[in-house]
Amino acid sequence: MPVYSFYIFDRHAECIYKRLWQPRPTSLAGKASRSGSDLVGLGQTVRSTDDDAKLVFGTVFSLRNMVRKLGGEEDNFISYTTSQYKLHYYETPTNTKFVMLTDLKSPSMRIALQQIYINLFVEYVVKNPLSPTEHPGGVGVNNELFEESLEQFVTRVLS
Amino acid sequence: MSAPPRHSAVMSISNAGPPQSASTDKPQTPQQAQTPTQPMSGLRVPSNRKTIYDRHLNRSRNAELSRASFAFLFAEMVTYAQRRVTGIQDLEKRLNEQGYPLGLRLLDLLFYRSTSTSSSALSSSSTSSSPPNRPLRIITLLHLIHGPLWRLLFQRAADALEHSVSADTPNEYMITDNDPLVNTYISVPREMSMLNCAAFVAGIIEGVCDGCGFEAKVSAHNQPSEMWPSRTVFLLRFGDSVMEREKVLERAGVK
Amino acid sequence: MSSTTKASRIGEEIWKTRVDKVNAELVTLTYGTIVAQLCQDYDSDYQEVNKQLDKMGYNIGMRLIEDFLAKSGVGRCANFRETADMIAKVRTSVIRNGYMSEQVGFKIFLNVTPTVTNWTSDNNQFSLIFDENPLADFVELPDDGRSQDELWFSNILCGVLRGSLEMVQVQIEAHFVSDVLRGDDTTEMRVSLVRYIEDEMPPEED
Repeated sequence: MPVYSFYIFDRHAECIYKRLWQPRPTSLAGKASRSGSDLVGLGQTVRSTDDDAKLVFGTVFSLRNMVRKLGGEEDNFISYTTSQYKLHYYETPTNTKFVMLTDLKSPSMRIALQQIYINLFVEYVVKNPLSPTEHPGGVGVNNELFEESLEQFVTRVLS
Repeated sequence: MSAPPRHSAVMSISNAGPPQSASTDKPQTPQQAQTPTQPMSGLRVPSNRKTIYDRHLNRSRNAELSRASFAFLFAEMVTYAQRRVTGIQDLEKRLNEQGYPLGLRLLDLLFYRSTSTSSSALSSSSTSSSPPNRPLRIITLLHLIHGPLWRLLFQRAADALEHSVSADTPNEYMITDNDPLVNTYISVPREMSMLNCAAFVAGIIEGVCDGCGFEAKVSAHNQPSEMWPSRTVFLLRFGDSVMEREKVLERAGVK
Repeated sequence: MSSTTKASRIGEEIWKTRVDKVNAELVTLTYGTIVAQLCQDYDSDYQEVNKQLDKMGYNIGMRLIEDFLAKSGVGRCANFRETADMIAKVRTSVIRNGYMSEQVGFKIFLNVTPTVTNWTSDNNQFSLIFDENPLADFVELPDDGRSQDELWFSNILCGVLRGSLEMVQVQIEAHFVSDVLRGDDTTEMRVSLVRYIEDEMPPEED
């Protein structure tokens, strides 16, 4: 079950970690993949991954705020689906946001995102003395223990 | 030893050594153990007498705190040390220096506890005789570190104790910890791959050695294995004077 | 009052079942060497030492709250509603009835449950009274005629509280008003609400 990408945003609305596993199909790439594989993911390369992260943040931030307006402070959205992919969302009480994009058939990744927060992020980033308490520019999140265990979690547990 | 008796709570502590030795906060303590009539001369004390003199030293013996709280404190210690150093060696030196006073104090606690539990039946014995467990030989000291000290700190013994196989360095000993508590959450970046924050523990060991009268330099080294990625070897190098005394004691048959 | 008992029960349960532990004396003595080192580095300028301890605590608090939340509500709440409840308790009503976060938090950090008391009528200030304080266990302040008037030995705890509450968008101010190490009969921290912090927005594009 393909995982396309994964993002962490901190409470300052900054993307402190992103990771791409497979290029997410876009409507353009979807068509292109039938004619030539070198065009797969074209839609993404045109736009930088930085911009992608910003768009993802804007989307989840607005969605979450609208959901709260509709359903009250304690409500939140869990995922949304487009015709191309499914976006899974998990927010901690400290306002750290975990986002994962998968294919449409994927089951809910809510628990998986929680697990990433509890068992990987807290253990290997938050508790790491060599990693700063805040992560401007992603500093400290991209350490070996975190990245390797994330890789293992996504490729072995989720797939 | 004919000092006028203090009240009983203090007496039970002073049997094992001056209570001042357990204070964590006296870098430049004037030695005041000999004036017991005024043990806290200039300091105010609470009326309920919640002071280190009134509360039993074993109160916290089996107390536990969360591992995370230690990790966070340790993290702050490392961060603070990093602000003031120029390189990895310097950082390790500083962590070592922070561990050293801890070693000295833990030694007091260790001796106090091993005497008070093992010899409670012999409580009438003179306090002037040295505690039975003070190590005189290197190997006894090493066992003290490998066993009781490690258990006091980490609730388990260390994993290995070895003597250097090289004839050139008979003064070198190694204590191995397969998974040091202090490194649990540390992911060392590649460019700092030599760094081992267990230098702090090396400092503790050095304090214990020095406190026992065994001058030594102790350092922490990464020796990862497949199974134990953060395996750490503590290298103890004893000074020449210690090695000479060791020979004399050997001849004299002192164990 | 029921939230207090609930808080201590939650704290107790988490403490027993979900917290990895270490020997308390290792923590106590490690803290002692940190304070001693600061006193040495800052030449016994105790005001500066207080400030540094508060700063360290702030950093610790920011990390601690993540661990706390991971261990407590969020960890076992498969159910979203429960998680939201937890968030709501911590976030929206910390000062009024949600001081459970302090209570539970200190339980997990130090295995102590401070008493919450002395509320102001607007519910924006209260005191935490520490009957036990493991950080100060083997401690006597230096007999230099100043330390008992200037040094707050456990000042790191003010920072811990400030840092952890800031992470759940509550800005507070905290300081000690008494300490048994200074010869007072109690150890008391005064906590005041400053404001609730709004969500941060991403910076505007150029």
